[in-house]
Parts: sequence; C-alpha cells; structure tokens
Amino acid sequence: MTTSASFKRSFDSIAEIFAFTAAMFEREGIDKQILPAVDLALEELFTNMVKYSTTTTQPVQVEIVPIASGVEVTLTDYDVEPFDVTKAPDVDITLPIDARHPGGLGLHLIRRLLDSIEYEYTKEVRRSRITFRKMHSGGPHGLATHKGGTNASD
Amino acid sequence: MLAIEFGPEGGVVIAGRLDASEAPRAQSFFDQVQGTVPVDCSQLEYISSAGLGVLLKTQKRLLGSGGKLKLTGVNSHLNDILGYSGFDQIFEIERAR
Repeated sequence: MTTSASFKRSFDSIAEIFAFTAAMFEREGIDKQILPAVDLALEELFTNMVKYSTTTTQPVQVEIVPIASGVEVTLTDYDVEPFDVTKAPDVDITLPIDARHPGGLGLHLIRRLLDSIEYEYTKEVRRSRITFRKMHSGGPHGLATHKGGTNASD
Repeated sequence: MLAIEFGPEGGVVIAGRLDASEAPRAQSFFDQVQGTVPVDCSQLEYISSAGLGVLLKTQKRLLGSGGKLKLTGVNSHLNDILGYSGFDQIFEIERAR
C-alpha cells in the first residue's frame, strides 16, 4: 500500500519524516535493517530541495511503496528549477583532510547506499521527481541502475 | 533526537540521531572541545552528511593544535557511512564490540 505525506520546507520537518518512515515500516512489516539507509537518502534529498529551491514555498511530497525485497520512495518538489541529483559528481574521498569539505557528501553517500535512483523533471509544471529503491541485504550495495536526466517535456 | 554531553575523563558521549536539524547544536558543543577527545558513539543510531560535516570541521580544528577526535563504539551502519565517506582515513575508529 502506498503511504504518502507532504512536508514543510524546513529542517524542522526531518524528525517528522523519520517518524513517517518508521511508522510505515512498522505498519507494513518491512525489515528495519534498511531503514537507516532510507532515512539518510530521504534526509539528503529533502535538505537539498530545501537548501537549493528557495523560490517556492510548496511542501515536498514523499511517497513510499513496499516492493519485493524493499521499498520504493518518491520525492516530488513543485514549482522548482531542475536539478538532476544523479548527475552530481562524486566526492574525492582520498583527499587529505585539509582539502576535504562536507559539500556533496550527501549525494555521494546515497549513491552507495541505494539500489537505484532516477530523476525526472516536467518542464510544463516545473516539477522535480526523484525515485529511489532500497532492497534488503542480498542485493548489491551501490547503484544497480543509475538513470537520470529524463525530461518528460523533451 | 540527539543527546550530547561530556562523559567521564573528558570524553564526549553522543546518542540518538545526528541529522541536519541537530547539526548546529552538535557543532556548538564540539566547538568547546580541546585536545585529543574520545567520542563514545555506541548510542549514536544515525548520522547524515550534516553530522559528518560537524565531525570534519572539529577534526580539522583539533588537528591544527595537535589534538583529534577518536570515534569509539562505532556500530555497523555508522562504520559503513564513515567508510563510504573516506572518514576512516581521517579519524581513528574503534568498532563496537
């Protein structure tokens, strides 16, 4: 069953998002081993939307669907410019500490924790949609599929 | 929810979830620490990139004066995050038993 909620564009919503995922996992009997990775991906993607799409006040919609061996999560952001999270460069984790910065680390991390992530932008309605999947152990760590840049208007 | 306090012998004990909403409070706390400081992470359930940023900023400052953070009681999930971030090359890490 799809579980859906909308969250105000504020870091204060993060605790509500975690409560939302925990309740959904409990209700649907989903293995909680994957919950930290799902929470981390949601936090990183949500906070990116809050930080970089500052011209809208629309809430961010989150949907979670149980699938075989895991969950599929979709974040939808309305009235925003496109930003394809799947195209963000990896962080060079071999740099010495003086050259390290936290920027970009969130997207770098979720690409290693998730099994797939896709981005879609619909120009006519200025809507960004990110869909990711996280499977239980047994599946590969890191992205099994890595699609992005789909523009439904093109 | 995050709990952070000084433990016995000047170490730091951190528990709960270090996410973007808690990072400013954690940073304010870590800005007070000096020297070489063990950080008991055995009750730290979750950390995101915002929390990693707090640890990185603190480690840079402390290394500049000959100190450092040492992360102890690191659970499996946290260890994965630290490894994927390359922080296992920046911090001394002791896994949870």
